[in-house]
Amino acid sequence: MVLVTSGAVLLLTSASLFAYEFLTFRQESRQQLSTLGKAIAANSTAALAFDNVDEAEDVLRAFEADPHIVAAALYDVNGKLFAVYPKGIATADVPATASRSAAQFSFDGAYLVGFHPVVENARQLGTLYVRSDLAALNSRVRFYGGIVTLTILAAGLLAYVLSRQLQHRISQPILALAHTAGAVSEHRDYSVRAAPVNTSELDQLTNAFNHMLQQIQASEQRLRTQLGHLSLLQQITRATTDRQDLASIFDAVLRSLERDLPVEFGCILRRDPAGDVLLVHAAGPESRRWSEALQLTEGAALVVEQNGLAACLQGKLICEPDAGALQFPLFQRFAGAGFASVVVAPLMAESTLFGALIAARQRPDAFTSSDCEFLKQLTEHVALASQQAQLHNALQQAYDDLRHTQAAVMQQERLRALGQMASGIAHDINNAISPVALYTESLLEREQNLSDRARSYLTTIQRAIEDVAGTVARMREFYRPREELMTLTRVDLNRTVRQALELTHARWNDLPQQRGVMIELRTELSRQPAEVMVAEGEVRDALTNLIFNAVDAMPDGGTLTLRTRVLAGEGGDDAGRVLIEVGDTGIGMDETTRRRCLEPFFTTKGERGSGLGLAMVYGMIQRHSADLEIDSTPGKGSTFRLIFAAATHEVTGMTQRLPCAVVPQRLRILLVDDDPVLIRSLEDILTADGHHVTTANGGQAGIDAFAGASRSAVGFSVVITDLGMPHVDGRKVAAAVKSASPATPVILLTGWGHRLIAENDIPPHVDRVMNKPPRVSDLRATLAELTGGAGEARSPSLGVPA
Amino acid sequence: MALLTPAALARLRAWGARLAATVAAAACLAAAPAPEEYQVKAVFLFNFTQFVEWPPEAFTDPTAPFVIGILGRDPFGSALDDAVRGEKVNGRPLVVRRYSRLSELKPCQILFIDRSARGEAQKALAAVDRQRTLTVSDFAPGAERDVVIRFLTEDNKIRLRVNVDSAREAGLTISSKLLRPSQVVGTSAPSAP
Repeated sequence: MVLVTSGAVLLLTSASLFAYEFLTFRQESRQQLSTLGKAIAANSTAALAFDNVDEAEDVLRAFEADPHIVAAALYDVNGKLFAVYPKGIATADVPATASRSAAQFSFDGAYLVGFHPVVENARQLGTLYVRSDLAALNSRVRFYGGIVTLTILAAGLLAYVLSRQLQHRISQPILALAHTAGAVSEHRDYSVRAAPVNTSELDQLTNAFNHMLQQIQASEQRLRTQLGHLSLLQQITRATTDRQDLASIFDAVLRSLERDLPVEFGCILRRDPAGDVLLVHAAGPESRRWSEALQLTEGAALVVEQNGLAACLQGKLICEPDAGALQFPLFQRFAGAGFASVVVAPLMAESTLFGALIAARQRPDAFTSSDCEFLKQLTEHVALASQQAQLHNALQQAYDDLRHTQAAVMQQERLRALGQMASGIAHDINNAISPVALYTESLLEREQNLSDRARSYLTTIQRAIEDVAGTVARMREFYRPREELMTLTRVDLNRTVRQALELTHARWNDLPQQRGVMIELRTELSRQPAEVMVAEGEVRDALTNLIFNAVDAMPDGGTLTLRTRVLAGEGGDDAGRVLIEVGDTGIGMDETTRRRCLEPFFTTKGERGSGLGLAMVYGMIQRHSADLEIDSTPGKGSTFRLIFAAATHEVTGMTQRLPCAVVPQRLRILLVDDDPVLIRSLEDILTADGHHVTTANGGQAGIDAFAGASRSAVGFSVVITDLGMPHVDGRKVAAAVKSASPATPVILLTGWGHRLIAENDIPPHVDRVMNKPPRVSDLRATLAELTGGAGEARSPSLGVPA
Repeated sequence: MALLTPAALARLRAWGARLAATVAAAACLAAAPAPEEYQVKAVFLFNFTQFVEWPPEAFTDPTAPFVIGILGRDPFGSALDDAVRGEKVNGRPLVVRRYSRLSELKPCQILFIDRSARGEAQKALAAVDRQRTLTVSDFAPGAERDVVIRFLTEDNKIRLRVNVDSAREAGLTISSKLLRPSQVVGTSAPSAP
């Protein structure tokens, strides 16, 4: 290549030089000949003017000086040949005549020929003819040709030798460089380097190339690191997004750091809300083996100021390349455990430090600025995720609480509505059956000469009425608030449980066995007495109901568990709690059933169930201010947990029912009611007892009657009035009576009794409230009590008809 | 260098043809009659005006013509008149004056003394002494004074003999070109070839 180029250049140069020389020489030759001719012509003027041929030939002989002049001739003014040169040349060798013209020289074949006028004082005296051969030109051409050829040959040889050398010294390194560049771009391997060469310029080029490679490699390395960090950050972000609890988020972060960044030690601390102290919250699984040596076991405390972490409070990341150089105990411990590089990255929430991430490596200065930047971003993200998790948990808690409360409120409301409805029904039924009960009881008591059949029928009627009254009473039970007159006694619930088990023995033992089903009983009673203040009968009834339900839930047998536990109180007025659990391994309840099981008339037992059992239990719980918990899993069984407050003092029931006597003496009784049937039946009963009864149909009539009697000085000793009457109700009647005669007792007769109490609406002027249907015996006892009549009698409970 | 191209060959052939023509022309020249002696001398007289320099004081006034005078009998016939007709020397018209005897002689720039005035030659030369007159003759005028240029006849050819002393005395400058083909005499003349 070099050879060809230099050869072509040389050839071109030589050719142009040659051409130039050739043309120049031709020009020069012509010029030379012309000059010579001019001189000769000037010298030959006289010879021509004076017709002297000898002289002319003599002048022409001057051409001898130039051997290339082969012929010359002079012509006179008429163009006739005058003299020739060289002497003796054949005249045929020169032109015979010459024209009078200006000087002209031209190449004619192998000769340069020309004519030159011979002029003296502007007069042409003749013409000179000169002929020169081109031997000089030819020899010159040959000479130059030789030189050019030689030069080309020599230059070619030199170029060849030099190019060989240069190729070795220049092309080789450049080819090597190109090879390196090719290798780099092909394999994307920026670690290869071009070999150094000796030539200084090429060395610079190679160095520059290597330097560029180095830069690219470093850039690529940085990019890869950044990319790795980015993908790690993304991975951690994804991992933490799915997690809502702090422990799991921290665990995921630490695991990723250990595995992928990687760090040799990593832990997360949380700030103690009380002060500037960080508590170790979690360490990565691989890092735990260092925890002891670093005194960073879970829960260990680090005082921020004492450990040189004050910068963290401002949210600054601490990156220590040489832990041993710091005097703070934390860094000294790291140095002692062989960790030279330590990074402490703060976890900030709303510009407040709430924790920190510690990462450590054993190599000194092992955390690059890129690592630190990554850790900073990571902690920002972790802080955010933690905060989010905390918020999420708080929100979940609030939501759960709200839902729970809402469910409870709805339940209460529904039960209250049902309770009201039940009360209304109970009132009407009580009113309706009151005369039946009164007359039946009265007939059986007073008519001695009844036939056996009649007595038998009346007894059946009385039992049926009592059943109806009992059902109505039970129906009210589930939402009957605690009554003033309820008897609370100190009871050891362990005893109550045993009683309930005995009472229901047939139901959980004998009957299943007849069907070939085994129900295993397990009783876990507390060793210490489970003493509470309750109406024992109610609790026993509730337990009985729960045991029946448990047995019904296990048609194929199972385990019936009764358990009592005494939970110690936390001091002060709180005397602790007592639990009774009734559990079964039966069919369990689904969510809907569990929610509705306390509602009256809700039953899963079809015809066999009244739907009142659990409602009664619930009523009892309400009246005792106790708690009822129900755990149930379909297919696994149910557990009912009754929670009472433990008994604190020796005081017994709030009210103790005084024993009262039958009223023996005659009383003047004013009976006020708007139901004529009830009035007549009561009038009949009371009259039969010997009392003097005045009836008033309606409230206003009652008030008028009482006022009339007072004026006549024959006042009533007792007033019995119905509560619910049109226009003037029982309350107004009572108020009127008391205003006229405060000493006169007033008995309020009502089917709404419990409701008045529930609404805290016991009329102020009423001495006693009696439920319908009143039993004759109860009526007698009450009258005796209020009028102060003596005599021992039964002590019926006004509270719960059994 | 390729000299023998077809074009060059063609030129060679043309050259041959011209050679033949030249030979024929030379044969014609040799056969032509020689010009009359005085015809040549007449031309020579005119030609002297080209090789000799006359100073301005040679003329009576700037418009004065250049005069070629002939003393004695005119040997040229019409040859001299033919030679000078229409010619000028340095812008001056050229005229020929003929003086048959010495008494008629008037100043002139060239004075040809014919053989017929041989007896009066010395007087004539004395008359034009220092008059810037180029004196010419074809005979030897005597020992005392010599003409500047004398026509000689050698081998039937007319040659010139220049006396540079006479020329200097006459106050004329003669071109060295004229001296070259001439026979030069006089003290200041170079040693004759």
